[in-house]
Amino acid sequence: MSTSIVQISNLNLKYGNKAVLRDLEWTIQAGENWLLTGLSGSGKTALLKAIAGIEKSTDEIVVSFDKQSSARPVCQYIAQWYQFKNVEGVANFYYQQRYNAQQVQDTLTVNAELAHYAKENHLNLPQAEPILEALGFAPLKNAQLIELSSGEHKKLQLVKALWLKPQLLLLDQPYTGLDIQSRQNLNNLLDEVTSNGVQTILISNETEIPACINRYAEIVDGQLEEHFTFCSRKEIVIEDRPIPEFLHQAPPSSSETLIKMVGVNINYGEKQVLKNVDWEIKAGEKWLLQGHNGSGKSTLLSLINGDHPQAYANEIYLFGNKRGSGESIWDIKEHIGLISPELHWYFDFNATVWQSIASGFFDSIGLYKEIGWHKRTQVDELIEYFGLTANKNDLLAQLPLGKQRLVLLARTVIKNPELLVLDEPCQGLDAHQTLQFNTLIDGLCTTNRTLIYVSHSDDQLPKNLTHQLLLSKGEVIHNKIYKKREELESVI
Amino acid sequence: MANYFNTLPLREKLNQLGVCDFMENDEFLDGVNALKGKKLVVVGCGAQGLNQGLNLRDSGLDVSYALRKEAIEQKRDSWKNATDNNFKVGTYEELIPTADVVINLTPDKQHTAVVSAVMPLMKQGATLSYSHGFNIVEEGMQIRKDLTVIMVAPKCPGSEVRAEYLRGFGVPTLIAVHPENDPEGKGLAQAKAYCVGTGGHRAGVLKSSFVAEVKSDLMGEQTILCGLLQTGSILSFDKMVEKGIDAGYASKLVQYGVEVITEALKHGGVSGMMDRLSNVAKIKAFKISEELKDIMRPLFQKHQDDIMSGEFSSTMMADWANGDANLLKWRAETGETAFEKTPAGDVKIGEQEYFDNYTLMVAFVRAGVELAFETMVEAGIKPESAYYESLHETPLIANTIARKKLFEMNRVISDTAEYGCYLFDQACKPLLADFMKTVDTDLVGKNFNEGKDGSVDNAELVAINEILRDHQVEVVGRKLRKAMTAMKSIKTA
Repeated sequence: MSTSIVQISNLNLKYGNKAVLRDLEWTIQAGENWLLTGLSGSGKTALLKAIAGIEKSTDEIVVSFDKQSSARPVCQYIAQWYQFKNVEGVANFYYQQRYNAQQVQDTLTVNAELAHYAKENHLNLPQAEPILEALGFAPLKNAQLIELSSGEHKKLQLVKALWLKPQLLLLDQPYTGLDIQSRQNLNNLLDEVTSNGVQTILISNETEIPACINRYAEIVDGQLEEHFTFCSRKEIVIEDRPIPEFLHQAPPSSSETLIKMVGVNINYGEKQVLKNVDWEIKAGEKWLLQGHNGSGKSTLLSLINGDHPQAYANEIYLFGNKRGSGESIWDIKEHIGLISPELHWYFDFNATVWQSIASGFFDSIGLYKEIGWHKRTQVDELIEYFGLTANKNDLLAQLPLGKQRLVLLARTVIKNPELLVLDEPCQGLDAHQTLQFNTLIDGLCTTNRTLIYVSHSDDQLPKNLTHQLLLSKGEVIHNKIYKKREELESVI
Repeated sequence: MANYFNTLPLREKLNQLGVCDFMENDEFLDGVNALKGKKLVVVGCGAQGLNQGLNLRDSGLDVSYALRKEAIEQKRDSWKNATDNNFKVGTYEELIPTADVVINLTPDKQHTAVVSAVMPLMKQGATLSYSHGFNIVEEGMQIRKDLTVIMVAPKCPGSEVRAEYLRGFGVPTLIAVHPENDPEGKGLAQAKAYCVGTGGHRAGVLKSSFVAEVKSDLMGEQTILCGLLQTGSILSFDKMVEKGIDAGYASKLVQYGVEVITEALKHGGVSGMMDRLSNVAKIKAFKISEELKDIMRPLFQKHQDDIMSGEFSSTMMADWANGDANLLKWRAETGETAFEKTPAGDVKIGEQEYFDNYTLMVAFVRAGVELAFETMVEAGIKPESAYYESLHETPLIANTIARKKLFEMNRVISDTAEYGCYLFDQACKPLLADFMKTVDTDLVGKNFNEGKDGSVDNAELVAINEILRDHQVEVVGRKLRKAMTAMKSIKTA
């Protein structure tokens, strides 16, 4: 009897009308843990979903579980995109809702959600404890789901998967939004479960992978190509595309000091999210903002973007005006080109690529205005630059996540803003797209444009960073001229 | 206090009912300037109060909250909502005397008490804002002559008002100035600025009057919006169970069906909704909706007549005085219906299936929307106002049924709407008894097209399409919907 757990023969799959997998063959033997790579849109997600039997099951894939195993005889797919619902079972939330304090409890707490999950899957609550500890999730147990940051949602998704112990665990970009320590811990957890009857297939572009991975494959032109080690067949070559003319010159700065925060405190009930934060950004500076999940990065940025109601109770100066002195949030947003995981999550997926990019002129989520000829040509030029011309009339919902992200990145720069706020901009992009985007950022961030860049990883950064702010548990622990992590760690 | 509308001479009644002007974008070029630097004090911090206040502050305006002393001392939800978002909160005595604009966003029923408490504290020449005119029009509240009285009524739940604002859009909004209280002529400018502050100017603003708003709002909510959706849902469910359709399936079809069907209404009006049916089903739905219109027309007319004469409001206020005895009894009865008590089954129903297997609801909705619209227009209400209070709001109410059935609908709507809804429902069910005997599962529960070859008489279909598209609610709707460009796609549960 064969000991294969997955047997795929002659698999053909389409994404929309485009064939992505052609006559794909793949056998996964017992004890194997695979890393699956490939360019954005190459069909990685489609392949894992097909194995998990999501969308439709096909005869070409046979999954056979081990009846003797202590792990659960199921195949669990963990999507790159987290989902959560309110108490009525509807996933109807809006951008930055979590910052608007409302007494009506809309979503479950983490604890209640875990209890619910335990009941549904006949699991023991205490068994989740070590996993919660390892991912640093324990302090969040009383938080409401709506209050979690994108990285924290990702962790909750992983906690559930590891707790379930499925025989086949399919992880689609599980490191998305996780801080460095959590990545390490996740890898340790994966090593542990894989030695206890769980097998995994991991989609990731990261270089830090768990030790348990013992097979490597890449999807190339719709077929599986096996490698003997972690590498990509293709050398990354980026095309030397000229940056559109209208982005060459950053607009003059509105003031010498763009952002100034004095002793900023933000509390949610008893919980203090930002403690006595001072931060000053002068025009032309390029900042790297870092910190562990839950350290307060997103909250800090929401104060700059005019998205946080508690900004009104703090001493904050934006673009030369004191916050709460009669400016509207739209007056603030006008200066900023913003991308963040949350903006992506809450975006209007029924907007076309073209509309989504054009909406960046008005900082709206979706386009509600006619725009003139001059701006239309700029949208077209930028679409061309990002290589999205063929997709220009597609709905966002029809594109893979990496392409969606590119669209929103184009939206971020379309109005040629004086300040770019890029919160994990390259999430979901493949190595090629990341390099291409960072090249653009380097080109855009010449002398007088200001940049705030958030990234957990150190190897995908723009070149010309000048300053760094490091947050830990809501406090600034480092605020100075930019240094690489190794140098920084020796400082602490 | 006397019913304000009834004190007016006929000429003035008609005059006020007829105020209706769909405003152009360029009427809002002055932005929030008319309110800039003014003190806005919101009374009440529930869903509308909090979310409108958040929007107004984010538009650069000075917003604080006046709450009752007990609410502050006991740290009630309204106090927490306001303080957690860093708003200044104080008692009426502390904040109202400083207010340039007092925004009353308390529930309808409290208006007399709230306005009576607030008015003596208001400074000379200040503005009082309402979001519903019942207190002024039906209860006849008299406002001090130096005060300006305006209305700004976003036509969506409070959470939606916030969500749309943060997307950079807004929700359709109705504004009005009370002609008895505009001593300085500043009412309209302030109402427009308020509208810009909540984002409403981006989604279509209708200038109305207190009278037109109340008389059309009451009519809409009692008949098509809540009354008919309740009656139609209960009758459809009972019919399916009677004919042996699985109760879980029936419950799900009814619970989510109204939402899916009326989403099509939202995007393409009555004809857009009817176009989702096959040609054979469309002809059938047309014919039975014609029949339904004939049966129900006298009931719709009675509701409109009672609303116009003040009969409805005086009956309801008598029930208020009686501790809501009738309202509570009827609410309990609704909770006991079989539809309410049967949970939705764990079955997947596709989006198109909701149309094909629920042709009866399509017919109900067409009949109800057109009847409510026609009856309002015949009573002197302008078509644009009638459109908002019939077709436009139907999907919003249907959405509450999808969430938690009739319980949720009746919880979310005002007590006034709920009271009128029960009146309608009680009268409508017996009226439809004979009609319902003719209904079989091809209209509700099973696919209408099954076993039919799909052929229709071309001339008949063309004639029906023309009748549907040329109805006044469609002609007006096409114009108004253009202004509300951002439509979300159809969701399926």
